[in-house]
Amino acid sequence: MAHTSNIPASRMGLPIPNSKLGVWLFLGTEIMFFTAFIGTYIVLRLGSIDATGQSGWPTNVEDTHIKIWAGGLNTFVLILSSYFVVVAHEAMVHKDFGKARTFLISTFVLATLFLGIKGFEYYGKFEHDILPGHIAETPEQAIRKVVNEMDAAVRPELRSLIPPEKLAGLKNPTIAKLVSEVKAEHTDKPVIGLASEQIQLKDHMLADTSLSVLIESRRTILITKDGRRIVGVIPTVIATAETPAAASKELSIKLDDGTTVKIPESDIKEKRAGAELPRLTMEEVEQKLSELRSNEQYQPLLTSVHDPHPILYGNLFASNYFMMTGFHALHVIVGMILWGLVIAQGTSLNASWTDFVENSGLYWHFVDLVWIFLFPLLYII
Amino acid sequence: MADEHASHHVNYLMIFIILCVCTLLSIISDVVEIDRTKTLNNLFLIVLVLAIAMAKALFVLVYFMHLKFEGKWKFILLAPTVILAIGLPLALYPDIGVHYYTIAVPQAEETPSAAGHNASENPRAPLEHSTED
Repeated sequence: MAHTSNIPASRMGLPIPNSKLGVWLFLGTEIMFFTAFIGTYIVLRLGSIDATGQSGWPTNVEDTHIKIWAGGLNTFVLILSSYFVVVAHEAMVHKDFGKARTFLISTFVLATLFLGIKGFEYYGKFEHDILPGHIAETPEQAIRKVVNEMDAAVRPELRSLIPPEKLAGLKNPTIAKLVSEVKAEHTDKPVIGLASEQIQLKDHMLADTSLSVLIESRRTILITKDGRRIVGVIPTVIATAETPAAASKELSIKLDDGTTVKIPESDIKEKRAGAELPRLTMEEVEQKLSELRSNEQYQPLLTSVHDPHPILYGNLFASNYFMMTGFHALHVIVGMILWGLVIAQGTSLNASWTDFVENSGLYWHFVDLVWIFLFPLLYII
Repeated sequence: MADEHASHHVNYLMIFIILCVCTLLSIISDVVEIDRTKTLNNLFLIVLVLAIAMAKALFVLVYFMHLKFEGKWKFILLAPTVILAIGLPLALYPDIGVHYYTIAVPQAEETPSAAGHNASENPRAPLEHSTED
């Protein structure tokens, strides 16, 4: 092998340094990596249509909390940093290492600024719960989300008011059960009031009945197979939540005289509502929530509860958004590590780093390139 | 290779300014009030901003990444990845992007207020809203 060592490495194969060829091959795989995400996004977006067959993808900035100025500013920041990198590389070639260092430090600062703006945008998304799997897509889901978040808000507060030995005996207790176990001296706490509001709201949600109707007035007419008519109120929700309908073979109905009769399910031929009742609407829940928020005792307990705001395909949007921008941000961080290595040389930066700066520059321009496509795809279209 | 690059006189500042102008153009095209519910308007905007993005990408590739001064190897190296990159969305498109089959997306169906309501129904039913078709 010794006889071949005189041939310069760059003459073998392609007329470029091996390191540069390596970087370009790597960038080839990177192109495919990002196309996987961008292509998936485009295809999923085209496939997301609403009931009328039009595109149902969320584009309203009120829904998505996309900030065009942030995206535009970040585009500018990355382009400027790319410009600084070419200037730095040119300085390296001209052996002006001081200048190269200054421009690479500026690049590093710009990368930090980019991540800062990105972080600010992410913060807004987290604040509004624009996260994959967290977004209600229909009014029903929005109502359910409010109920669940209220549950999560009052549950730990209630648990803290119950003696530990009692708490240990409770398995998956409902909010109603927790309220009933709260120590007598705590029953005037605001959380109790809020818990009962949550129970009310959940009752109405499960019965899908407007808040303007008292749940207890849900009169039902049962017609049995032998022709009897039984008129009364089927106690809803709390009862059904603790004993699932499927488990009990009997139906309890509370008659007008206050007595409760149990009828085997197999005897019932028909079940009719006493009256058509208005359904629970999201607007009612929204209003109820703002009423509760205006109560200053409840307000601090409700900070973790979001206003209902259904976004069709919002979860798919959030998944795509975070997947693409997240991986891009990760690439920015890797680039910052590369520049950090050069900057760490300090004043001893020399010509041996020129190829490193050029190769890292190629990578950095590619990261800029990805953002050039992400910006119109995510922020404009 | 380093010495070779010194001979390429690219006005990088000019490229940077062009890129900034392109970015501004795409922002302006978004901010300008157009009726985006009209399909043609929307299509025009999409084509415009993507064309601007393509132009910017080319400027970065050709000048910042020095592809202009590289040998023919650049085509051999980049062509396969570009073909695969275009092929992937095209391969996915028929399955997800077009609906030649009936879709069953509960959240995209009409809101329940339009449907009839019977209070004696299973109270959970409306939440597990399903469609007949």
